[in-house]
This record gives sequence, C-alpha cells and structure tokens, in this order.
Amino acid sequence: MSFLNMFGKEKERPTAATADDRLSLVLSYQRSDIDERKLKQFQARLIDLCDEFGYDVVGQVEIRPQSRPRDNTTILNASIPVRLRVNTDNEESADL
Amino acid sequence: MEQKSVAITVTSGKGGVGKSTTVASVGLALAQLGRQVCVMDTDIGLRKLDLMLGLENRIVYDLVDVVEGTSKLRQSLVRHKEYPNLALLPAAQTRYKEEVTPAQVKQLVDDLRNEFEFIFIDSPAGIEGGFRNAIAPADRAILVVNPEIPSVRDSDRVIGLLESADLAQIDLIVNRVQPGMVKDGDMLSVERVQNHLAINLLGIVPEDRRIIRSSNTGEPVVLDGKSLAGRAFNNIARRINGENVPYLDLEESSLINRIKRIFHIA
Repeated sequence: MSFLNMFGKEKERPTAATADDRLSLVLSYQRSDIDERKLKQFQARLIDLCDEFGYDVVGQVEIRPQSRPRDNTTILNASIPVRLRVNTDNEESADL
Repeated sequence: MEQKSVAITVTSGKGGVGKSTTVASVGLALAQLGRQVCVMDTDIGLRKLDLMLGLENRIVYDLVDVVEGTSKLRQSLVRHKEYPNLALLPAAQTRYKEEVTPAQVKQLVDDLRNEFEFIFIDSPAGIEGGFRNAIAPADRAILVVNPEIPSVRDSDRVIGLLESADLAQIDLIVNRVQPGMVKDGDMLSVERVQNHLAINLLGIVPEDRRIIRSSNTGEPVVLDGKSLAGRAFNNIARRINGENVPYLDLEESSLINRIKRIFHIA
C-alpha cells in the first residue's frame, strides 16, 4: 500500500477507521436500546419545532446516538440543515 | 474471612475467539508457577478443553456425573500427568446443558475452593443457559475479544450481563491481534477496542500459527518457548498471580523488524 502511495496513488481511508466508526454507531444503538419508531417521531417533532421557530428544513435530517461507555450515557446528535424562512407575506404587502 | 481461592469465568460474546485456548494456556501457566489450578469446562454437549490439554483419553466421569451424584468430585477430576497442580473437570459431551442449573454449578465450585487456588470456568459461547451456569459461581470474569466488529459488539452485550451479575472484576483479553494489519490501518487497534468496551486490559495476544499446532498436539502454547502468543499467555498468568508485567512488544518478532535490527535501522 505505501509502495503504491509513492507513485501518487490517492491514499485510501484505513478500513480500521471505518470499522471504528461503524462500531461506535452499532454500540451506541445497542447501549441506548433506541426504538427506531421513537427516533422517527423525535425527528418529526424536531422538524415541526424548526418550522415553529421560522426555519425551513432544506436537507436530510439525521439523528445519531453516540454512547459514552465511561459514564454510561448516550448523546443524541441531531444534524438538521435549515434556512431562515423569508417572510413572503410582508414582502408582498410592501410591494402593494 | 479472607477468601483463599478465586473463581474466574472466561467468556466471550461469540464463539471461536479463543476462550478454551486462553483457559488451557493460562491455567497451565499458573500451574507452572506452582499454584493449585482447576480448569472447568461448562460447555455441556460440546466439550473442548480436554482436547486443548491433551487429556481427552483419560476422562471417565464428567461435570454432569458429579452434579447427579453418579461420581464423586475427586473421581471426576483429571490431573495433568506432567503438571499435577493442574486438574480438569470436563464437560459432558452426550448430555444437554439444561440438565445442570446455576445453583448446582455454584455448589460444585464451592466444593472445589477447598482444594484449588484458581478455578477457571470455560464458558460456552452466547448468552443462553450455559452462560448463566458459567457466571453463577464466578468472583471475576475475563472477556476474550478479537479485534473485529462482531466480536466487540457481542462482548459489549456480555459486559452488560456480567455487570448485572455483580462480579467484582471484569478484565479484557484482546486475542488474535495482527500487528501488521493494525499498522496498515486494516485492523482495530487494542486501544480502540479497549476504549469501546471501557474495561481493564489484562492482556494482548497476537495471532500465532503455533496455536493451531498446539491444539493439534494437545500441548498448550505456553509450553512453546518460541511462541509469542505463549509468552503473552504466560504474562497474563503472571498478572493474575499478582505480578506487575508489562505488555509484550508484538512487533518484535516480525521478519522485517528482525532484519531492521540486524542492520541497525530500528
């Protein structure tokens, strides 16, 4: 592998690093014993909440549990791509 | 009152990770150190420990016979000829694990405590009835893990069960480590496995072709002075015996490293 790299071959990500990421995710789900349905409901509530506060969700929402074995806790990481909603009603009335 | 003997269950989440090899090797190494050791096979229906120790032809009675009262405990113990400090209590091969209860195994181990300083209980793979029998009498547990996702995932579940059984200590052995693969980024490192499982590291054992030879001959790998795995198991035994032994440098025996040393590169 390192021999090929000498000739400018693009360096691949180590498979152990991929395994490490997969293991983190698998163990997090296992330890938190999260019900997929419950997680989907949670996701829908977060989208509603974004809407309520004037944000449009513009991409895929991702919620990943992350476990901390040392203190036996789970962290839920939510990634929600949003854009501040433009208030079109006000703009239209201003045009008039 | 100070407890004179310690019962240690050697377990894993999945099969084939090296539990019986660990029990046979560490048990024999402790016997070589002069300790009184009993290794007990609780994998009823599929015994293996007798083969690892080369004692398969000397078995008359087994664990189920003792539990049922067909034989006395002393009659069922098979002493090693060369290392009489070491005795095996074999599992029954033609019976079912349902024939033995956790309370019966606990009583059996309590009886063994009078005679032995260390009682190693070789657990069957999985988390079913056989596993419950194996952990019922244990003071401590050793979890054998291979550095791969399925083994670590299943071990994590076993740790949860061991913790709920209130064991005083749960230690980790990472077995079948290939330093070259770890270095190339193709195998989980021992540190990563330990970080995920968050239990005390007792030992690191490298992958070793001599293990296959030793299980073929019935001579545990600790008897092979050239084997790095044998040295790793010997070190584990010494740590269990209370000694402070550093972890092996697993790369020291690789061919490239030897050549590097010859030419003073490393």
